[in-house]
Amino acid sequence: MTNDRRTLDALTNKRGMNNQRRLADGIKDFITYLSTSLSVLVLGAVFVFVLTRGWQTLSWDMITGDFWGGNFKVNFTETLPGTFTAPGSLPQDAYFSEKYGFAVRDDKNHEKKDIMVLLYLDPESPLKTSVGATAGPTLDQPLSAGIGAEIRKITYVNDDGAKKSAGLLGKQNAEQMVFTLDTQSVSVDSMDFQSSGGGIRGSLAATLMLIGITLVIALPIGVFAAIYLHEIAGKGKITKMIRAAIEMLNGVPSIIFGLMGMTVFFPLTRLFGATTPNILLGGITMTVVLLPVIIRQTEEALITVPDKLRMGSLSLGATKTQTIFKVVLPNALPGILSAGLLSISRIIGESAALIYTMGTFVVDRPQLNGRATTLAVQIWSVMSGEQPNFELASAISILILLMVLVLNVSVKMITASLNKKWKE
Amino acid sequence: MANEEAKSVTDTDRTVDQLSSGGVMFRVQDLDLYYGNFQALKKINIEIPARKVTAFIGPSGCGKSTLLRCFNRMNDLIDDVRIEGKILLGDRDIKDANMDVVRLRTEVGMVFQSPNPFPMSIYDNVTYGLRCQGIKDKALLDEVVESSLKKAALWNEVKDDLGKNAVKLSGGQQQRLCIARAIALQPTVILMDEPTSALDPVATGKIEDLMETLKEDYTIIIVTHSMNQAARISDKTAFFYLGDLIEYGDTDRVFSKPADPRTEAYITGRFG
Repeated sequence: MTNDRRTLDALTNKRGMNNQRRLADGIKDFITYLSTSLSVLVLGAVFVFVLTRGWQTLSWDMITGDFWGGNFKVNFTETLPGTFTAPGSLPQDAYFSEKYGFAVRDDKNHEKKDIMVLLYLDPESPLKTSVGATAGPTLDQPLSAGIGAEIRKITYVNDDGAKKSAGLLGKQNAEQMVFTLDTQSVSVDSMDFQSSGGGIRGSLAATLMLIGITLVIALPIGVFAAIYLHEIAGKGKITKMIRAAIEMLNGVPSIIFGLMGMTVFFPLTRLFGATTPNILLGGITMTVVLLPVIIRQTEEALITVPDKLRMGSLSLGATKTQTIFKVVLPNALPGILSAGLLSISRIIGESAALIYTMGTFVVDRPQLNGRATTLAVQIWSVMSGEQPNFELASAISILILLMVLVLNVSVKMITASLNKKWKE
Repeated sequence: MANEEAKSVTDTDRTVDQLSSGGVMFRVQDLDLYYGNFQALKKINIEIPARKVTAFIGPSGCGKSTLLRCFNRMNDLIDDVRIEGKILLGDRDIKDANMDVVRLRTEVGMVFQSPNPFPMSIYDNVTYGLRCQGIKDKALLDEVVESSLKKAALWNEVKDDLGKNAVKLSGGQQQRLCIARAIALQPTVILMDEPTSALDPVATGKIEDLMETLKEDYTIIIVTHSMNQAARISDKTAFFYLGDLIEYGDTDRVFSKPADPRTEAYITGRFG
């Protein structure tokens, strides 16, 4: 009794915050706060950096434009002039053609050569009606000069019916060319221009194609494998081993899958006429990368379906297969959907597995059995050249971040609604 | 398709008549059941009368639900279960490997402890069993839905909205829907595993009333924790304790003059 009293007294004396404790707590708290703010800061910095570097480049023309610039000669299907008014937003040094509804200005390219850049093109302008004039796949196909294209020459018809050239090739600058066209031409005939490139249309298309192929192959395989593991297989050692093997696949670096895809699956894609790395090969490889994710997600979804529904179905004389397909699977559908969405975001973000299987050469018009890059690989591609294009890479990054954000939020929402559904 | 169904219905009717001629639906002989090394049922011998309500009572873990699940072979779904002895439905041993389990479960329906309607329409719930048998005849299905829901005393409450999702019904309605769903298959036996334990007293009363009318057409075996319920609704009562069948007889007799002191102790509430 006296002993107890003494301990209590000793405690009471120490009840107040002594300095030593305050200091120890303070240091630990400081480290906690510092770590948190540091990680938030770093994440924020990445976002801000990418946003500031890429925002200027990000535009509809960049999304829909070709990556490779080139020299083009085009004819116009609509050649007669109209009356156009200049938009308010043109810069000081721009010259606007009131007859043909476009604006250009003088500039110098990175080789310090004079160029003339297209700044504005009215939607009704005859210059919008251009079609390819050179032999090849672009002949008579719509081929419009985008904003930023370098105009080299516009051929017009004058009062005498003779064809004359205006523009840099006719030793004229922007002001002179616009003046010549607006005063002397009766109609326009053809145009030579150099498109600036730097677009991502090809990679965007290839990414979508890759997503499509991968999901078509991977979703059914993954879902059926999950059904087998969770609904049909017993709880024995073999099931455990299969599951462990699948989990392990999840930890393999994807570049190894890329190597494997190149050596193992490439012969398969030759049947589809492939001679180089190709999108199909990328899709098959991504299937292997994604199977563990899909199986895992689907199993999670199957677990949320209450057992009493399976019991109810079996007790009504349904077979196991009927139970799975009529009761279990429909109720697991939202979970399977989120598996699909997660897979899409993995495909968008993947690069290592695709370098060997799809190549790093940016292609503007991708084919299933030909080389192509996804958006992520295009970043790698534009940054690895002699002149890294940081602006383009950042702009692509913004797009990827946006897509992944949307996908992940959707997954969260689906999961939340799924959990709510079975809460009683 | 309709003809086929009609034929199978008469088949079932004949089985019922044959079976009930002897008055016995199930004959259990020397049944032992093991979960791994644990023996859950020990040398059970019991005869379940046809078109009567038989109640299984006993403290938790006594094996009453385990025995109930033997009658439609739901124990098959549990790993590591071993069963010895015979369970005869008529002259067929339902434990037999050749037994068509899927067919058996259409003859022996089951209602579970917590209502488990499928998250689909009321109509689809009731027709589920028949559709699994491959019956697509709309007129027949419509007829079965109406008659089953009427027998389960649910028709008047839901007849205007058969497309409503069944999980939106109240707990008592859900349980009656589960009964209707079982009835739709024209079973001869309905197993009920504590069907009212998740329900309020009003809903419980409705289910008990329903059992009174159902036993005219079906053999009912009910597992219950409520002594009062067993006394109110059953014709026969079996008392289980630690895997043994201690006492079995007419409910009036078991509750008024229990032969075994353990039965008396349990029904008077001294343990359990």
